[in-house]
Amino acid sequence: MTRPLCFRLITAIAPLTAALLPACLLGLLAFLVFKGLPTLGMELFFGDTPPVAALLGRQPVWDGLWPACAGSLCLVGLTLGLSLFPGVGCGIFLAEYAPPRLKSLAGAAVDMLAGTPSIVMGLFGFTLILFLRHTFMPGATTCLLLAAGCLALLVLPVLIVGTREALEAVPQNLILTAASLGLTKNQRIRHVQLPAAAPGIWSGVILALGRAAEDTAVIMLTGVVANAGLPAGIGAKFEALPFSIFYTAAQYQSPEELQRAFGAALVLLLLAGGLILAARFFENRYRRRWQGSAA
Amino acid sequence: MNAVSLENVSVSFFDRPILQAVNALFPAGRISVLVGRSGSGKTTLLRTVNRLNEEFPGCRTSGTITIDCGGGPCNIYARPNEGGLSLPELRRRVGMLFQTPNCFPVSVYRNIAMPLALTAGVNANDIPDKAREALAAVGLWEELKDRLDMPAERLSGGQQQRLCLARLLALNPSILLLDEPTASLDVHAARQIEDLLLDLAPRYTVIMVSHGLRQARHMADQILICEKGRLTGIIEDPARLDEEHLAERIYASDATDADASTRV
Repeated sequence: MTRPLCFRLITAIAPLTAALLPACLLGLLAFLVFKGLPTLGMELFFGDTPPVAALLGRQPVWDGLWPACAGSLCLVGLTLGLSLFPGVGCGIFLAEYAPPRLKSLAGAAVDMLAGTPSIVMGLFGFTLILFLRHTFMPGATTCLLLAAGCLALLVLPVLIVGTREALEAVPQNLILTAASLGLTKNQRIRHVQLPAAAPGIWSGVILALGRAAEDTAVIMLTGVVANAGLPAGIGAKFEALPFSIFYTAAQYQSPEELQRAFGAALVLLLLAGGLILAARFFENRYRRRWQGSAA
Repeated sequence: MNAVSLENVSVSFFDRPILQAVNALFPAGRISVLVGRSGSGKTTLLRTVNRLNEEFPGCRTSGTITIDCGGGPCNIYARPNEGGLSLPELRRRVGMLFQTPNCFPVSVYRNIAMPLALTAGVNANDIPDKAREALAAVGLWEELKDRLDMPAERLSGGQQQRLCLARLLALNPSILLLDEPTASLDVHAARQIEDLLLDLAPRYTVIMVSHGLRQARHMADQILICEKGRLTGIIEDPARLDEEHLAERIYASDATDADASTRV
């Protein structure tokens, strides 16, 4: 019996589609490395400023990526600081404590938030500042805190859904065993379910991290500028890598400048990769601590 | 003395009755085995004693369940301030072993240490000794004393089930509920668990669900037959019957839906 043609066609194409993803990723990486690698060096980061002085903030960097790197790190850190607790907390509440009606209602709200385009989130931040300026905070302006707040809104659904799904995927018999051993509901969640769901929750955190590091639309309307130097505080303007790339690519005046944008793209990739590796490292350490050793 | 008594106990899930007006007595220090077809309510009956059915949505239990752990009978639904037990304390005293070994995905040691610290409130300094005692009681100490850091999931099925038993025993229970504890094990590991349980039995009241006729006959002091959510017969001292007769009795009870008080 011969198989139908469409079936054979699909079986022939399926492996190709599977190969497409790694091929695209490799192609992208190779392109970035090819274009960006030659520019990687002290000059790309610090321009003409002595690196030590720049790192300590004693001299401003006019022609390098260092302020953008520092700005991006601050932005990602602040975003996670603002979103981690409410995101994971909301996920735990929805998975374990919420009554069914609230569960579906809040679930719909989270889905809607997840579907909101980032530019809308940026516009929301921008109009919020306009509103504040016209009412009770005339001095309010776009800044690091506002950008981080809007980014936190953007990554919140990732954290909530990640936590909720990871908790709901913990095998029922594990929970039942913990109950049969006399653990209370809170003890079960704290000592059995959360640790067992940790890999899923960490994946959510990593996704949120990547999203916060790369998003340009939100920060463009909420406080990022091309030349701010190192971030002076949460109420100040700041630079960020994705915006530097976007700005340079749009406004470059010489081939060298464009080359620097490729360098910046490579740095952003390395930065995001580094953050993800750090998250994995902490996950492993946490896992080992939970699994425990004999006293 | 009866360690557990059920009076007129009914359990339903979302108004679908699973157990109907069950009366049963489980003598202290003896092994009672529940037999019956799948879906006859054996596991639900077992879980009424440690109130584990209530972990499932839509569960309603009625009737009276009393346990006696040596200090006089105690209604398991009475509040702690009315002379009852808190839920964690009830479950500490009424330990349960499941069909498949349910080790936590942590180290061998922590599997025992975690409930000890959380449920029994044992002082951190005393946990290592208690863990050693419990592992020794199930014959795992010699095998595992140098590998306590190993993830419990890497143990064999039989070892895992013995570890789960050790975890129970460490909490110092007086009643053990065993839900087909050897169902997922090979013959050799199953025998090992059976022998272990027979050794431990005089010190505990054991209520066990079993599908194996040989096992039921070998281990039970009394066999209770479940059928469609009711207890339809009790066979005292089943070892006096051979397997064929035993099967006949159980099968006969199965077919005629006899009165719950029938004594064979």
